[in-house]
This record gives sequence, structure tokens and C-alpha cells, in this order.
Amino acid sequence: MKTGGHILHIPKIEKGIVIDHIPTGHGIHILEIIRSHPEMKEVVVTLGLNYRSTKLGKKDLIKLEVQELTPRIVQHISLICPGVTIKKITDYEVDERLTVRSPQVVKNRLQCRNPNCITNHERHIETCFRLVDEQKQTFKCIYCERVFHLGELRPLIS
Amino acid sequence: MKRDLISMDDLTLEDIKEFLQLAATVEELPAGEKMTKLVGKILMVMFFEPSTRTRLSFESAMCRLGGSVIGFNHQMATSVAKGESFIDTIHTVENYADIMVIRHPREGTGRLASETSRIPVINAGDGTNQHPSQTLLDLYTIQKFFGGIEGLKIAFVGDLKYSRTVHSLIRALMKFKDQDFLLVSPDTLRLPEYLKRAEKQDTVRFHETASLKEAVSWGDLIYMTRIQKERFPDLVEYEKVKDSYCIDEKMLEHAPECLRVLHPLPRVNEISYSVDRTTYAGYFEQVGNGLIMRQAILLQLLGVAI
Repeated sequence: MKTGGHILHIPKIEKGIVIDHIPTGHGIHILEIIRSHPEMKEVVVTLGLNYRSTKLGKKDLIKLEVQELTPRIVQHISLICPGVTIKKITDYEVDERLTVRSPQVVKNRLQCRNPNCITNHERHIETCFRLVDEQKQTFKCIYCERVFHLGELRPLIS
Repeated sequence: MKRDLISMDDLTLEDIKEFLQLAATVEELPAGEKMTKLVGKILMVMFFEPSTRTRLSFESAMCRLGGSVIGFNHQMATSVAKGESFIDTIHTVENYADIMVIRHPREGTGRLASETSRIPVINAGDGTNQHPSQTLLDLYTIQKFFGGIEGLKIAFVGDLKYSRTVHSLIRALMKFKDQDFLLVSPDTLRLPEYLKRAEKQDTVRFHETASLKEAVSWGDLIYMTRIQKERFPDLVEYEKVKDSYCIDEKMLEHAPECLRVLHPLPRVNEISYSVDRTTYAGYFEQVGNGLIMRQAILLQLLGVAI
């Protein structure tokens, strides 16, 4: 793999999924997300940290020996780390490529920070947030209508 | 599809103008003609928090349109006191009425009720979030005073942090062109930043001051609010700010003639009774407009034409 004239020693995989362009430091978070999904517990994973990148300066990278990621996992990643690239590898080549964007709606994945919001008091109610500003990473609780930065919101599962 | 009234953020400018137009029509309609409009319809009033104007004006509005009213004004009088969930309460009461109006101390209850209920829901105040029927009557009052809503300079005074009437009204006014808002509050009760977010930033301008005197000579309208003791987690903080702003007749001596003072009421000390006798006082007319607008809301949500 060439980046800015440098050869990076990242061995290619024959087939599987590569999650690329992860801002350095976030690789471990994404790995935690993947490991939180029961179907991924036994999957062989390679985590690379602090590779040089023309786009990001430095980046992390994850390789998974798995055919595909479920939409649920992709949405979960998009919430924590929008902007990463998910590549499907077949015969050592990139077969499909997807740049992950922030979800427009996030259902039952985040807890509202407002202690007086009904979602923190009523039993069996799903939380729901709508994207307000992708650049600023702000989301609005559809119930109490408060707007929060993504970093302020605690995941309901992690 | 049923229609609800939960948040001013749900309404387009055209929706708001439709409510204002309908209220004007309702106001002109003879009482006898109105009495036939909602015969056989039942309004459920569910007030989990105290209220005088909102509850009674909705009840009066329904009666004046020929409908009936049932409900409660304290949650201790319901099975909620036995631990029943809010959702189960809504599922139960939707069987007994054609439309419901809810006030609740927690934010988001109006939205949750609208998602749960088969019948139309009116949010009559959910915690510190929204109070859309108050906002529509405020807009109707402003339109009657000034002949329109665009291009006005409006000062909001008092508790801008917890006041749902302020939050609702600002969100609604931001849909109209060319708005200037002067925010007058103690430092601890400033308007939350997220409420200033507008789709078209260039049509809305926010200004801030701590001086009520400045507000008197600044604009067309002063929207006073009560410092709400019940919203403070710490009563020591309430004591520090409770009498921050009080407007009286003397303060209005040099005010422009066209200035009007509105207040969602109840008031405590923030407007002196001496202001009631002046031409600036608009808050009792505002109360009267509440009855008209709430008739319009009931008719609109129940899909009854006039």
C-alpha cells in the first residue's frame, strides 16, 4: 500500500473487510463496538495503530476476516466515527467501498442527557435522536427537543 | 391522519398563518353558531401540573363550541399515583374522548403521548420545553396589536432558561422574516444556546443585556416572564434572582407609545399593578385571545370547518 511516497507494511488480505481512514486513537473504540456485537466475538481481527496517512496525517486501520458487516454494526460505527471507509476485499482487491456518514436518525442507541426527559423515566420507551449538524456532530432528542454534541451522549450499548 | 399540536418546531410558517386566520374567523363568528360545531365531541384534560388559564380556557373553548369536557388536574387523582406508566395512562384515556390536552412536568411527554394515542394530542406544556397553544395565542395577540408579525423588535425578560413559553415563542418567531430579539435575564437564567439555532441565520438577530431599562426604550414589545420557583433544583439560587426584574408605571414614562407589555401569566412581582391601568398593558387582552385561539386549535385538530 502506497501513501505519500511511503511504503506501508500492512499485509494485504485475500478476502474480508478493511475499515480504513480511522482517525488515530479511534481504532480501539471501533474495535470495542465490533466486539460488542455477539456475531463478531469469534471473528479474526487485526488492529493497526498510527499508520501514516496523507489524508489524516495518522490513522488507525482494522481488518476483519468476515464476509460483510451487518447494517446494525455499520450504523453503530457511523455514530461513533463518521468518515471512516469500509472496504470489501475480494482476491486481494477492493471490491466495494463505502464512506460512512453520520446517521440521520439514531434509535435506541443513545441515552438522553436531560435528566428530566421522559425517556429517562418511562419504562420500555426507545430513545430517538435526529442529526442536526453533521459537521458539528450535534443531535436533537425528538422527545425533549434538546440538542447535544455526540460526545455528550452516553451509548445505551457499547 | 390525525393532527397533533406538540411543538412549534413541527409547524411550518403556513401552518401558523392558518391557525391565525382561523382564530380571526372564530372571533367573528356569532356565539350561537359556534355552539353547534363540536356537539357530541369530548375533550380530555390531563393536567399533571397546576394551571389556571390553560386548563380553564381549553375547557371553556370546548364548552363554547358545544362539546363536553372530562379529565383531572392532579396526578394524585389518577392511577399514576399507583405506579401506572404514562403510556398506559394514554392508552386508557384515548378510549374516553375525541381529543386530549396534556400538561406534564417532564419534557417530551407531549411527543410520547402523540406517538401513543389514536386521538389528537395538544401539548399544554411539557416541562421547560414547549407550550405551543400559548405561542399561537401570543402570535395572535401580537398580530392584532401590530397588524403583522414580521420586522418586530421583541424583548424577552426574566427566566429565559426554564420558560417554555419563551422557548416556544422564540422558535415560532424565528420562522418569520426580519426578527430582532433582546434577551434580558440574570446570568444564570440565560436562553440556552441550542434554541438560537436558525435555518436562515440572516433573518434573526439576538442581542443581550441585563438592563430592563434598556428594553423599555428598545423595541415594540416586552414579553415578561415569571421567575419560576418550581423549576429551580436549588432554592438558594432562586432566592438570588427571584426579584431581578420588575416593571412599573414610572419605568414606562418615557416608553414609545406603541410599546406593549405581554406576559403568559401568572405574574408574581415582575409587573406592578400600576401598569394595568396604562395603554402598555397587553396581558389581559392576551388572556382573552387565549380562549379564541384554543377554539381554533380544537376545530383545526378535529378537522371541523367553519
